[in-house]
Amino acid sequence: MDQELLNKLKEILEEDVLDLSLSFKDFDEWDSLTSLSLIAMVDSDYKITITNKLIEGFENVAAFCDYITNHEG
Amino acid sequence: MYLKFKNKKITGILSVVPENEVHFADGIKNYNFSEKQSLKLAKIMGYGSTRIVNEDTCVSDLCIFGLQHLFTEKLLNKDDIDAIVLVTQSPDYFLPATSNVIAGEIGLGEDVFCIDINQGCAGYEVGLMQAYMLLDQDSINTVVLLNADVLSKKVSLKDRNSRPLVGDGASITVVQNDQESKESDLFIKMDGSGAKSLIIPAGGFKLPSSEETRLHKDDGTGNMRSDDHLRMVGDAVFNFVQTKVPQMVYDIYENLQISDDDVDFYFFHQPNKFMLEKLADKLKVDRAKMPNNIVGKYGNGSGITVPLNICENLGKKSLNNTYKVILGGFGVGLTWSMIVCELKKLSFCSIINYK
Repeated sequence: MDQELLNKLKEILEEDVLDLSLSFKDFDEWDSLTSLSLIAMVDSDYKITITNKLIEGFENVAAFCDYITNHEG
Repeated sequence: MYLKFKNKKITGILSVVPENEVHFADGIKNYNFSEKQSLKLAKIMGYGSTRIVNEDTCVSDLCIFGLQHLFTEKLLNKDDIDAIVLVTQSPDYFLPATSNVIAGEIGLGEDVFCIDINQGCAGYEVGLMQAYMLLDQDSINTVVLLNADVLSKKVSLKDRNSRPLVGDGASITVVQNDQESKESDLFIKMDGSGAKSLIIPAGGFKLPSSEETRLHKDDGTGNMRSDDHLRMVGDAVFNFVQTKVPQMVYDIYENLQISDDDVDFYFFHQPNKFMLEKLADKLKVDRAKMPNNIVGKYGNGSGITVPLNICENLGKKSLNNTYKVILGGFGVGLTWSMIVCELKKLSFCSIINYK
């Protein structure tokens, strides 16, 4: 798992430890702002365009990370 | 689309903002989010205060107030006006055109052409384009471009997506022919397939306002709004801006054979601070060259953010200096547009309060 990506997720979700089996909406900090922050981070750092709908579709954080790793431009 | 205009000059810009200041902190109690979440939003997005009109203030009021100021201060001669171009999405009436109402109120003659244009965040460039096209006629030498909106009336108080950023106001730009002015280059694109990403669904002829359309509903993320309210698909708009706007800047660099070094300022529309910071970073443009300080002070007033941006950040400096600028707008339509031009020793460039 890409440690840099995990660190960025921790920052956005304001978590010290990240349980990859959780889905995004399980996190206390999750709202439309964190979702947009995630979209912006993925756009600037990984050159991938994603949407709220796509994010909602991931079963858990691990699935999201796999997606980013496989689509990195 | 790439259009070239010759010998056109922005003579002066006056922005009119309502006196009434509304603070983000005061609206927090209206949202279905914790205070901590809302404060975090405000910090990242750069929300502070906005200027909101009173219930009985309309677009024509703001425009007439500004025009009277220009007449009184002798910055504009009423008899010189050949055309009025009003860009708004919150007209006084469905019909007649609000530009006609304004012309009647200030007593303009029958040879003054009036037109309303329905445009939003790209409304400054679209308005300038219309003004430039009119100025290509020999009989037209002075066009008054009015950008004005009072969209706060159409944004739900319980919508944390749009409410914290909406602002009202007007700006008046005098555009004239000038043989010594350099070329102005306009780049504009539209994508109607995204037309519903920014929409007020009800209240027009397709879905008239009714008891049903006035009902507040949760959008699934905690924001409450009705079909009579403005609705923005935030992530779609964000992605649209982050992909299309940088590409247009690259096209400009290539077409005009210029680089960032040739540009003094990028006066772009300001939906929020976050969006502008991301744009500047993506383009590798110094954030100071792409000001983002309007939205947190006056709010996002749709088509007025670009002229207000110029008034706030250049102000009196523009009276004695010449700046090479890119004016940029992006939003409803979807539309994205840029004008590359010089702001050359303006005759006036200031902000007044509407009382």
